[in-house]
Amino acid sequence: MADRDHRRTVLAAAAVTLLVTLSAVAAPMASARPAHEIPVSPATGDLGEPTADGWDDVPAATVALASAPSSVPNADQTSVERVHVQAARGDGRLYLRLQWQDATRDVSADDPREFADSVAVQFPVNASSRPPIAMGGPDNRVNVWYWSPPTGTEELLAGGAGSTTSFPESSVNASAVHRGSGANATWTVVYTRELDAAGENRTTVPETRDLDVAFAVWNGSNGERSGQKAVSEWHYFPFSGGPEGPPYQALLWSVAGVAIVGVVAVTAFGVHRARGGMR
Amino acid sequence: MSSQQEDGDTHVNVADGIDHQVAMVMDLNKCIGCQTCTIACKSLWTEDGGSEYMYWNNVETKPGEGYPRGWEDSGGGWQSEDHSERQPGEIPSQEDYGRPWEFNHSEIMYEGSDEPLRPREGAEWGPNWDEDQGAGEYPNSYYFYLPRICNHCTHPSCVEACPRSAIYKREEDGIVLVDQDRCRGYRYCVEGCPYKKVYYNTVSKKSEKCIFCYPRIEGEGPEGETFAPACAEECPPQLRLVGFLDDEDGPIYKLVEEYEVALPLHPEFRTQPNVYYIPPYAPPQHTEDGETVDVERIPRQYLRELFGDRVDDALDTIKREKQRARQGDDSELMELLQHKNPAKQYRLEVFEDG
Repeated sequence: MADRDHRRTVLAAAAVTLLVTLSAVAAPMASARPAHEIPVSPATGDLGEPTADGWDDVPAATVALASAPSSVPNADQTSVERVHVQAARGDGRLYLRLQWQDATRDVSADDPREFADSVAVQFPVNASSRPPIAMGGPDNRVNVWYWSPPTGTEELLAGGAGSTTSFPESSVNASAVHRGSGANATWTVVYTRELDAAGENRTTVPETRDLDVAFAVWNGSNGERSGQKAVSEWHYFPFSGGPEGPPYQALLWSVAGVAIVGVVAVTAFGVHRARGGMR
Repeated sequence: MSSQQEDGDTHVNVADGIDHQVAMVMDLNKCIGCQTCTIACKSLWTEDGGSEYMYWNNVETKPGEGYPRGWEDSGGGWQSEDHSERQPGEIPSQEDYGRPWEFNHSEIMYEGSDEPLRPREGAEWGPNWDEDQGAGEYPNSYYFYLPRICNHCTHPSCVEACPRSAIYKREEDGIVLVDQDRCRGYRYCVEGCPYKKVYYNTVSKKSEKCIFCYPRIEGEGPEGETFAPACAEECPPQLRLVGFLDDEDGPIYKLVEEYEVALPLHPEFRTQPNVYYIPPYAPPQHTEDGETVDVERIPRQYLRELFGDRVDDALDTIKREKQRARQGDDSELMELLQHKNPAKQYRLEVFEDG
């Protein structure tokens, strides 16, 4: 009887240990990419349009979005929770494709109560340091590629919330398409810009250094505009090349796995000892 | 409340950082509802694309829905006197503003139609839809006209609402302006103004509002002359006084601060407007036989809702001073309310050397 108990305890402990170890190892295998990294492919095929075939071969990163902290009314009421981002570099240009689900195609701001869907990509003006996520800061400004159906593409400069200023001319091109219907309806927006667009306060896409990037999406029919927006944390494009730095996610999973195995082992051992002691 | 001016040359509270405050007093007893002010403003400022539906100056009938419809219940302003928390507000719908109507001119003029001239479709509401409707029953029905412009408030909640500081109160005279280069059409000012006197231009995608005709008061006329705002100058019964609230020798200061007979509209919004109204004093009610009875025609409670509780003292003061004048005594107040001298009606150059 006691022997069977003992054996069952050891078996159960072994099974749990195996499961935990497997999941800890399997998770990083499934996404070996460091957290917050957005892969960049070489630009080979046609990438100029949202529906261009070339995008089929470009891996996508899913970027989580949450309501931006803001003092505007209803700032916490945003509706878009994630945006899929693809990036490619080549021919002296950077190509970005953003996709997100939005059941309503809000393309007009022709009525006092109408707001249009919008999307923005934010970069540090100076790629060597990371600005405050909320529109940068006075000494650490951000470049924003903004697109909205009524206004088209705008290139913006900001040094803190409320300071957004439009460049006289945009060096960024964007084109967009809204497809599907109902909950699965999706906006797809493609931005392209020369890697080294001349101009003061314009982000130069670095060749040998990672580039920070963040995203924002507005759902017009939800009254979203200004600080009422769904935003990401800072992510980065791994332009530094070579070994991709420490894979944080894999590292964290390994530590967690070892810790869990340890705890299970100690528990199993403790249970075994306690039973032995009772006898 | 705002701080007093540091130089001590006035007893008037103007907003922090503002040198002087433009102000207007409108005597509602003189308004005939002719809309000349409305058209003077419209033909000067809001004829371009996207501003068709806007009336920076409008004249509405009270009691009535006003323009935009139901604006008094649309939120905005401040929650308390310390001006720390704004009251949430709404953007009026296009239907509540009213759309410009298409008329059947071409059918009548060119196609021989016998139809009466009328809007083609959609004429279900618009500014002054309820004009002259008023309230009450014959023979004691009543209404009066209420001309409205931006109040260029001392505590403008529209300014506070803008996350970009695109709308601001300018230093020299407290006029509230929208910087068209900074505005990005978010419309927080539209919902934040309790008087709904900021409008969204549907073509430029930016907000616009009454500018108190600042180029006119700055002397940018053809000969360099200074003019009062067009709504005031063009008014046939000349019911508007224009000047500075802190000009202690001017009629506005006397009416607002000394006699306290000129009152802001809806003081409970707590924005402290700088457009003031002499409340209407209608004749008393009549019996069916035409006999005068000692009952006020316009319910006092309605006037309190519009102008606050101070309307009681204001009407008492006017009644008392009227009686004095009637008896042949001097009444400075009655003189002020009857003045027809334009030099005193518009005092816009008093601070130019200051």
